[in-house]
Amino acid sequence: MTTTSGVTTARVPHQRRGKTPDSHTFPTRPYDLVKEFVIALGVVSLLSLALAAIFSSPDDQAITMTDWATNAPNDFVATATGELAGTTTSATYGAPYNHNSDGQSVLGMHLQKWGGVGVPVNSADLVLGPLSASTSPIARAALATWNAASPSQQKAWATSYADALAKAPDGNPAQVAPGSYGPVPVLAAGLLQLARTGGLEGALTSSGNFYGGDQTRSMLLLSDGTYLEDRAVAQNLGGDQWGMMNEIGNYPGQPWMWLYTFWYQVKPFSTSDNADAQVWLLMMVLTVGLALLPFIPGLRSIPRWIPVHRAIWRDWYRTHPAPRK
Amino acid sequence: MPVLESAGNYVDWGVFHISVTNLVIIGVMIVVFVLAILLPFPKPHEVRESEERRP
Amino acid sequence: MTAAPQAPPAGNWTTALRTRIVHVVPPGQALPDRQPAYVASWIYVFGVLTLASFVVVLVSGGVLAVGGVAWWHTSALGHFVNSVHLWSVEIFMAVMVIHLWGKFWMAAWRGRRALTWITGVIAFVASIGTAFTGYLTQSNFDSQWISGEAKDGINSIGVGGFFNVLNPGQMLLWHVVLLPVAVGLITVLHIVLVRRHGVVPPIDSEEGGS
Repeated sequence: MTTTSGVTTARVPHQRRGKTPDSHTFPTRPYDLVKEFVIALGVVSLLSLALAAIFSSPDDQAITMTDWATNAPNDFVATATGELAGTTTSATYGAPYNHNSDGQSVLGMHLQKWGGVGVPVNSADLVLGPLSASTSPIARAALATWNAASPSQQKAWATSYADALAKAPDGNPAQVAPGSYGPVPVLAAGLLQLARTGGLEGALTSSGNFYGGDQTRSMLLLSDGTYLEDRAVAQNLGGDQWGMMNEIGNYPGQPWMWLYTFWYQVKPFSTSDNADAQVWLLMMVLTVGLALLPFIPGLRSIPRWIPVHRAIWRDWYRTHPAPRK
Repeated sequence: MPVLESAGNYVDWGVFHISVTNLVIIGVMIVVFVLAILLPFPKPHEVRESEERRP
Repeated sequence: MTAAPQAPPAGNWTTALRTRIVHVVPPGQALPDRQPAYVASWIYVFGVLTLASFVVVLVSGGVLAVGGVAWWHTSALGHFVNSVHLWSVEIFMAVMVIHLWGKFWMAAWRGRRALTWITGVIAFVASIGTAFTGYLTQSNFDSQWISGEAKDGINSIGVGGFFNVLNPGQMLLWHVVLLPVAVGLITVLHIVLVRRHGVVPPIDSEEGGS
């Protein structure tokens, strides 16, 4: 039907010949969509309030540098030493923090490296930066010795001390064998002391900016140690514990992440250095497959082969039997 | 020292390692899905044939 | 005496937009008070349950925003609102997945409804991303661990320099602004498509009615 201005006003959805009929040609019955929505809103609201009242929600306090320094001081010192030796995870990470590794690749694509160093972090600075503001004469002297030495000398000192810590009982710095470690023991102990006083996060996060707000440097230092991971593994949050699905305690986790984390539990991904990139690509392919399911022969026919729909529309089929083919 | 959550309860079956809570959630979802299909829906009391012209 | 209505000048953008909007759904189908007779199963309520859950998620999140990022750590009321937000999200994801299961077994993409299915999948994935940034916004142990782990996945595909999960300021804004808007827009598109094409007829149904 067209108006005098020539504009067509009624446009019924086009029906494919011989295929799914137009839903608007079927018999109808009264239905109150708005009432249905309001009832649904009421049900979900009540259910949410009830579950919240009964089960609450988890809130384990964030690990502070003071926590770490107090509860796992040997791990802290070993981590600080590793930053100076350039052997920690962050020091050898590659993009986006530095150029010290090519990072992960999948199907020959070095996506991690191609992303570039967008968040530059010098791992040694995670130790030296906070210490540089120290007014302690011992710390200042140690820093001066460190800065005056060549990179190879610095690496030799730090690596020796790291090895010595690993050999000491329980990694205890107080029981390290004598050796040539330069200023490294003093620097590591100085950072431990700063952490104990509660000043380390601020020194790492603000970096001269009053408002701070970016926890990247604190998180990288914390992640380089084992304390954070030990706490997480104790709560079944580790990567090889289906951790992506889980929450601390008995709280509900993320059941919908089951397939993403599943791949990390099985070979070849569980032993692959490129597992993250590989799993990402695999899940991307599966997700696109899910989205394009209507166009995938075979998969899109599963609902016909396994006729769950006969139960859903049983009333309709009883009064409108499907025609014989 | 703040009070921390104690570790939750988990079930193991082969490579599968799942929290009891998540298992319950998934189980309830499956039960709800099956019930949604099987439970009778209130019968319509008035069915009107389509008033549109057949294409 | 009233003047005869004048035809708008050709090329009028307002007329073109109005015409386009009016024709998005068939007349009377934007909020119809009748449904096809075959829409008679409890499986059909999971779409509206998803929408209702989304509203509860947004409202509880809005209350959390009123108090600020750290409010729920120090206030019992704030913690309760956080709990409502958590459980409404669990309900939201559960009913959305049940809705997906139902639509799969109904092969609801038939009859030129592929885009309805596709927008549904995009909404699902976008919701997961929104929940993810939510976990990063808790400012507690979970946020530390999840950000530390997730950074490896995101860095491995070269996106970490731009989307820094260790930066709570950035993650917060993605969680409360960008992603909810995206999920909201996709949801609107999804629902408009359902109203446009109507609820998919049963598999093997022939001409409507008798």
